Amino acid sequence: MTAVARIPWLLIYATAYLIFLYLPVLLLPLFSFNDGTIVAFPIKGFTLKWYAQLGEQETLLNAMVNSLIVGSVTALAATSLGLFAARAYVRYRFAGRELSEGLVMLPLVIPGIIVASSMLVLFISIGLKPSLTTVILGHTFVALPFAVSIMKSAFDDFDQSLEEAAYDLGETVVGTFRRVTLPIVAPGIVSSLLVTFTVSFDEFVLAFFLSGNQPTLPVYIWSQIRFPAKLPNTLALGSLLLMSSVILLLIAEYFRRRSTKSTS
Amino acid sequence: MSDQNIIEITGVEKRFGSFVAVSDLNLSLKEGEFFSLLGPSGCGKTTALRMIAGFQDYEKGEIRIGGQLMEDIPANKRPTNMVFQSYAIFPHLDVGDNVGFGLRKLGLSRKEMRERVSEALEMVELGGLERRKASELSGGQRQRVALARALVMRPKVLLLDEPLSALDKKLRENMQLEMRRLQQKLGITFVMVTHDQYEAMTMSDRIGVMFAGQLKQVDRPEQLYARPCNREVAAFIGGMNFLNARVTGENGDTLSVDVDGFGPLVVQKNPNVLASGTDILVGIRPEQLEIGAKQPDGYDAYLQGTISDVAFYGESVHYYVRCEGLDDAIVVAVPNYFHTVDHKPGEPVWLGVQNASVIDLGAREQ
Repeated sequence: MTAVARIPWLLIYATAYLIFLYLPVLLLPLFSFNDGTIVAFPIKGFTLKWYAQLGEQETLLNAMVNSLIVGSVTALAATSLGLFAARAYVRYRFAGRELSEGLVMLPLVIPGIIVASSMLVLFISIGLKPSLTTVILGHTFVALPFAVSIMKSAFDDFDQSLEEAAYDLGETVVGTFRRVTLPIVAPGIVSSLLVTFTVSFDEFVLAFFLSGNQPTLPVYIWSQIRFPAKLPNTLALGSLLLMSSVILLLIAEYFRRRSTKSTS
Repeated sequence: MSDQNIIEITGVEKRFGSFVAVSDLNLSLKEGEFFSLLGPSGCGKTTALRMIAGFQDYEKGEIRIGGQLMEDIPANKRPTNMVFQSYAIFPHLDVGDNVGFGLRKLGLSRKEMRERVSEALEMVELGGLERRKASELSGGQRQRVALARALVMRPKVLLLDEPLSALDKKLRENMQLEMRRLQQKLGITFVMVTHDQYEAMTMSDRIGVMFAGQLKQVDRPEQLYARPCNREVAAFIGGMNFLNARVTGENGDTLSVDVDGFGPLVVQKNPNVLASGTDILVGIRPEQLEIGAKQPDGYDAYLQGTISDVAFYGESVHYYVRCEGLDDAIVVAVPNYFHTVDHKPGEPVWLGVQNASVIDLGAREQ
């Protein structure tokens, strides 16, 4: 009994769990520096050429620009929608509030392939050809739950009398929003923009179905995996994306925490 | 204070579903008056204040400010300003920008704005703190900034929602006197909502007491204490011993009554009572009873009992006296003159009361 208690099961479990979770992800940057086209051990040598070659590929750069466009527009759209929705959810008690909140959160649990195929059918039936526009619409749909939850936490600690005080001091409804609400939830907005941008930037299934002949970066990467010679390039690109995603999310978290601090 | 009415509220009613938050509210406030709405939480006092401010709609009745009907006038166009319970200091602005927030809409020059902000800060004794950040303010300073931010607008009526409840006791007592002085100096009508009877009594010219959405009594603090209109109001303001009594005769302004325990006494008729009758309730304030080991001289009625509990409050000592035939212990408050506690639990004592100390509270069943 005492011998069993001394083995740190919990620690072993947690470590194994983390290794299992992140080892595959760490292999990506590792092989991106490997001087050889075959992704297998042993590693042959260190090189940066895969990274250097990235800048010469025009289709890649196009896909990157597409992704940046889609990500930015999605971030703006989802965050604006999320801002207003979150304010309503936190401030007002109205019929159907919980139902509508549930519906907004639904994209988190619906399988992406279902959403993607039904959206494709819907867009084509209303005459919208697959393009960046349809990708943006789809991404806004999946990014909205993130925007709403981040903005809700920004509004949760927001004292309602701040808005009332501004209105009481003669400011208009719009002026109150601009001079009081916006600046106070600004950190939340920045955080939401970054997170929704990341969600869109990394998204594959919807983009694959809806992008037509304008691939986003993940769709481009997928298409490149078929060519073994291009694989190291793809690994280098993936590593860069991984790094930028992590950095963006860290910045977003910093702003989210600042927003809760400043209003409480 | 002038005789001109600044606020007139007639027949106002507000329901939340089937819950009546404010029922048939009628109230006239005079220009330059310090008025308090006093009542327990949930009695509708804050709802009433928010109606005056324009933050709360209502189903029936009307509200006039300075003779003008407020029905279609939103909060941002009303000649009222509010000090919120949380103070609602804008966290992203410094003290000067907080106080100057409303001035932007008035079309003043930069110089005028600066002058009015600094004048308002002077008024609340925060002169020169314009560039202090909101997060660096203490509780008392936040309260002052909120006050300055509202007063800088020169409202006809200043509304205060539990303005001192977030402060500690010492600070609260200082602020009570200071706000009273400020109000008298400025001559602006103050309407304050509070659940603290002492706060209401020390600051107000008049107090309105609310229970369950109804305004029960509006009076000066001394009158409210001396002539409460019923048991509820009497119990809410100060301590009170309640005794049943029967009216045995009536003579002009006085009633001859037979009070449980004490026996026959003559009391002043209370003009504020809501209903009179033969079986009435009378009240005696704890500090107006005499207590002694022997029968004290010069009182109109006496009662014998035994001390059950003694509570020491510092400035006074409260004795709880059990008397035969009375359900509740009688509370007697004795000022602490000589740092002595004269009686112990279990001691037999005499209680004495004078006619003038007995308050007629009207019919028992109401």
